[in-house]
Amino acid sequence: MMNLPTALSLHLDKLALRAGGRADGRLLCRDLDLTVRAGERWVVLGPNGAGKSTLLVAIAGLLEPNAGSIRLENRPLHDWPAETLARQRAWCPQFWLDPFPVSAWETVACALLATHPELDSDAVQGLARSWLQRFDAAALADTDVRSLSGGERQRVALATAFAQGAPLLLLDEPTAHLDWSHQALLQELLREWSTQQGAAIIVVHDLNLAWSLSTHALLLDGQGGASWGRREDILQAEALSTAFGIPVSAQNEDTERRWFRVELEKRK
Amino acid sequence: MTLRPPPLTLALLLAAIGVPVALLLGLLAGSSGWGWPQGEILWLIRIPRVLAAFGTGSALALAGALIQLVTRNPLGDPHILGITSGASVGALLALLIAPVGSLFMPELGATLGALGAMSLVFALAWRSMGRGLAPSAQPGTVIVLLVGVMIGAACGAAVSFMLAIASDTQLHSLVFWLLGDLNGASLWWPAWLATTLALLLTWPRAHELDWLARGDAWAWTLGVPVAHRRRLAILAACLATGAAVATAGSIGFVGLVAPHIVRLTGLRSARVLLPFSALFGGVFLVLADTVARTLVAPAQLPVGVVSAAVGVPLFLMLLLRRRA
Repeated sequence: MMNLPTALSLHLDKLALRAGGRADGRLLCRDLDLTVRAGERWVVLGPNGAGKSTLLVAIAGLLEPNAGSIRLENRPLHDWPAETLARQRAWCPQFWLDPFPVSAWETVACALLATHPELDSDAVQGLARSWLQRFDAAALADTDVRSLSGGERQRVALATAFAQGAPLLLLDEPTAHLDWSHQALLQELLREWSTQQGAAIIVVHDLNLAWSLSTHALLLDGQGGASWGRREDILQAEALSTAFGIPVSAQNEDTERRWFRVELEKRK
Repeated sequence: MTLRPPPLTLALLLAAIGVPVALLLGLLAGSSGWGWPQGEILWLIRIPRVLAAFGTGSALALAGALIQLVTRNPLGDPHILGITSGASVGALLALLIAPVGSLFMPELGATLGALGAMSLVFALAWRSMGRGLAPSAQPGTVIVLLVGVMIGAACGAAVSFMLAIASDTQLHSLVFWLLGDLNGASLWWPAWLATTLALLLTWPRAHELDWLARGDAWAWTLGVPVAHRRRLAILAACLATGAAVATAGSIGFVGLVAPHIVRLTGLRSARVLLPFSALFGGVFLVLADTVARTLVAPAQLPVGVVSAAVGVPLFLMLLLRRRA
């Protein structure tokens, strides 16, 4: 793994977001006040349309917040030059466009080139292939990305985001198409990322996965309300039940492990 | 499907052989059979014509590659933005109203028409060329293409109108112009100049066009000034198309297919795709023009006919062989 540049802390101050960033859009969240520090892994949870992806897009700098501000190390996001910002945060969107044939390693190489223009082409190819290998995709390196399965494309996308070498990862539903073994692989790699002082903000839907991926959690309730903090304080049965509108139960196996399930039988 | 690029040295070697061979063939072929032409014919007719064919093919192929990349549309071609139709209106207008025998009139008309259509595309789609960052907005590239198609449609109607009112003697020259023909190409250097200019504008940061093709938002997070790059690439494509159309009329097919053929050989990244598309387009059109001059000699075919007749099977063959 490459050495990461020093991780910066991310601050959200009185942040408010509306759907599509429009002033008349539906309110997604307001008064978000939180700090993401090096080594932390945040999961963003909430019902469909609650604004998880929009929040990620805003933190990536693609969308101007409706109120409040987003700062990276005390400097507002929009004051950062785009090239410098590319070395600080990597955004892995939910959907990818692949209009032309291109191999998997060339896709990863795009992100490497953007942040490491000093590398020669052999070094870029070597690094791209080693990142694919870490995501168990070495065999796909020369494959056309348009012929990959959903989970394979997702792993190439994750390798691309990690390869960018930015300490803050913004992953939009990274586990959506992954099988169990690759979900576990992603967990391992994210933990390793944290020990290298990297940070991550991850949108997920699976509560059990959210628990094991995270150190912190942000729960959007879909009505503009939100709660955030350490995962054990946020991922509570009552708050989750309210946010998702279904009865959720949580069981502690020990201090490290907590299991969630939906109590459909109680739903009547 | 496994993708491996061919070694760049091999591609360069092929280009180094292919370009001189094509140019030589173009010089040797004449309406009265094959052979090295006499001094006057060589310098005043053959060389300018071969150079014009090469420049036109290069310009169209480069414009096609650029438009496909920045609108991320594999069906993109130089004529899709309406530049060609604008040039056609200008050229046909010049042919209709100019006094017989006035030099360069269709070329001048085509240049003005192309510039007019280009200004219109930029005026109407300026904002859309930069859009696509906000996740909810309609993709700006679609609007750019639709604006181009609409300008093309309006100009197409004007062309039909002129064809309808033209006299029989005028009609022949109008139709030949519309089919794309190098017979009347009197200046070879504008297409070369436009191709060079377009390459200078886009090639230094061509790798960023690859990122752009994978999504505006993602490219922006990698530090690419998306709106600026797209406008510059479209401007370059418009200049190249305008010069090509003013030189030889609307030659179809080369611009759409040359980039795809280059891609099928494995030269995919924009850094190599752009120059090799230009080379391939140039070689292709020189060869097509050679065939157009010799096939039914002493009569001549419009080169557009040959380029489609040769290019369509060639492209389908490459495409279907790969898929199997």
